[in-house]
Amino acid sequence: MIKEFIESVGQYCLFLKMVFRKPEKWKIFWRQFLAESEKLILSSVLLVCVISLFIGGVLVIQIASNIENPFIDRMNVGYMLREILILEFCSTIVALILAGKMGSNISSEIGSMRITDQIDAMDMMGVNSAGFLALPKIVSATLLSPLLMLLSLAFGLLGGWVVVSLTGIIGTNQYIEGIKYCYTGFYVFYSGFKMSLFCFLISSIASFRGYYASGGSLGVGTASTKAIVTISILILLFDLVVTQLMLY
Amino acid sequence: MIRIEHLYKSFAGAQILKDITIEYSPGKCNMVIGASGSGKTVLLKTLIGLYEPDSGSIWYGDEDLAAMTYDQKKKLRQRIGMLFQASALFDFATVLENIMFPMDFCTDWSKAQKIERARFCLDRVNVKGADGKYPSELSGGMQKRVGIARAIALNPEFLFCDEPNSGLDPYTSSLIDELISEITKEYNMTTVINTHDMNSIRSIGDNIGFICDGMLLWQGSRDSLDSTSCPQLRKFLRIR
Ligand SMILES: Nc1ncnc2c1ncn2[C@@H]1O[C@H](COP(=O)(O)OP(=O)(O)OP(=O)(O)O)[C@@H](O)[C@H]1O
Ligand SMILES: [Mg+2]
Repeated sequence: MIKEFIESVGQYCLFLKMVFRKPEKWKIFWRQFLAESEKLILSSVLLVCVISLFIGGVLVIQIASNIENPFIDRMNVGYMLREILILEFCSTIVALILAGKMGSNISSEIGSMRITDQIDAMDMMGVNSAGFLALPKIVSATLLSPLLMLLSLAFGLLGGWVVVSLTGIIGTNQYIEGIKYCYTGFYVFYSGFKMSLFCFLISSIASFRGYYASGGSLGVGTASTKAIVTISILILLFDLVVTQLMLY
Repeated sequence: MIRIEHLYKSFAGAQILKDITIEYSPGKCNMVIGASGSGKTVLLKTLIGLYEPDSGSIWYGDEDLAAMTYDQKKKLRQRIGMLFQASALFDFATVLENIMFPMDFCTDWSKAQKIERARFCLDRVNVKGADGKYPSELSGGMQKRVGIARAIALNPEFLFCDEPNSGLDPYTSSLIDELISEITKEYNMTTVINTHDMNSIRSIGDNIGFICDGMLLWQGSRDSLDSTSCPQLRKFLRIR
């Protein structure tokens, strides 16, 4: 088990080395990059927005109903919502959701190309198959995912606002004031950085598992399950490490 | 010219190829024949470096495959055309894009040139009106022919075909045989074909190697097939 783990880490590093070779043709890389951005990032926009909208709304109700103490300013509801969203929800939780969506998409796509010899066929043309398939996905997920985090933040706050203005648990002005209270730009950077890191893990590990899938369609299934389990654990682990390093 | 010397290959303890020594010369249809599961595909994949051999060496001209660097291997592979047993067309690309794929990477041709070349290759394998279709929309036989068109797209020096005519009707099958034999002679390619199709063995096999349980038991031309004394080959050919 430990031996297996060390072996996969080694193989993963070798895989990354293959992936980060200079692309044969930048034009082709660019074309793939755009296509992958659409498939991985653009197509996740709706999911992220809807989830954030609802969670934002739910959080506002939960926080407000827990702060009954009249000595605590109701503005704190907005403030706490913002902090929860920025610090944890928009990066870590959204990344965990994306791990399922992006991860299974990537690993099953690459895995099924592996078992139908398409990757061998690419190698046989003298094309760096790992680079061609995985690099655009990894670059796109890593560079563009902070945008998803910002979007999630915006929609989370919007969800809160909708609930506040519909139910009037707190005044809309109090809510807005709370959102602006003690704003730290660094937290947004921290969250964007986490998101970027998590999406790097998602795309690279899913590509890696798919690239070395074997054993027919069952193997593709196993590969994507393995990928998502590994990714989820690593996201939580790195969340802890990065938070300790950047915020403490 | 390709030379294989004392090649051994095993998977997880199971010995698949045993002491294969053979030479393939240009301008000839070299065939590897043998029953299903005898190791033909493994031999071909080892030959092109997709599998690492356990021992033995493979020479392309005077270059040793095992001693090649990554870049040298890449250069060599651009001179190789390969048809996989299951065609291995790219799902994400149309027929035309599939054939243009190697050109995209290995040439600086303009788009019009690439399309012209792709159409020419498709014409040679007798596929018409499928340019914009995706592989999943084609029949198995058509996929095979598109696979051949892709393999010859860059006029390779070495052409490897893994069962080029399995799953084709007899007519198309003989067309494919003729095509392969024709381009082999025309461009002086070194062609290696895996097959168990009796018709193609007898019609185009210039240099035939018979593999049984991973061992090369017999080698010769199509004319000497019937006079063989190798019992396994006689059984394979159903000569009594
Ligand atoms: N990747 C692999 N891992 C383990 N065993 C393998 C692998 N590839 C092939 N084998 C084994 O090697 C043997 C030879 O297989 P191969 O595919 O070369 O047969 P073949 O001669 O091409 O047969 P067919 O005519 O059916 O294509 C089989 O017993 C197969 O189980
Ligand atoms: Mg085979």
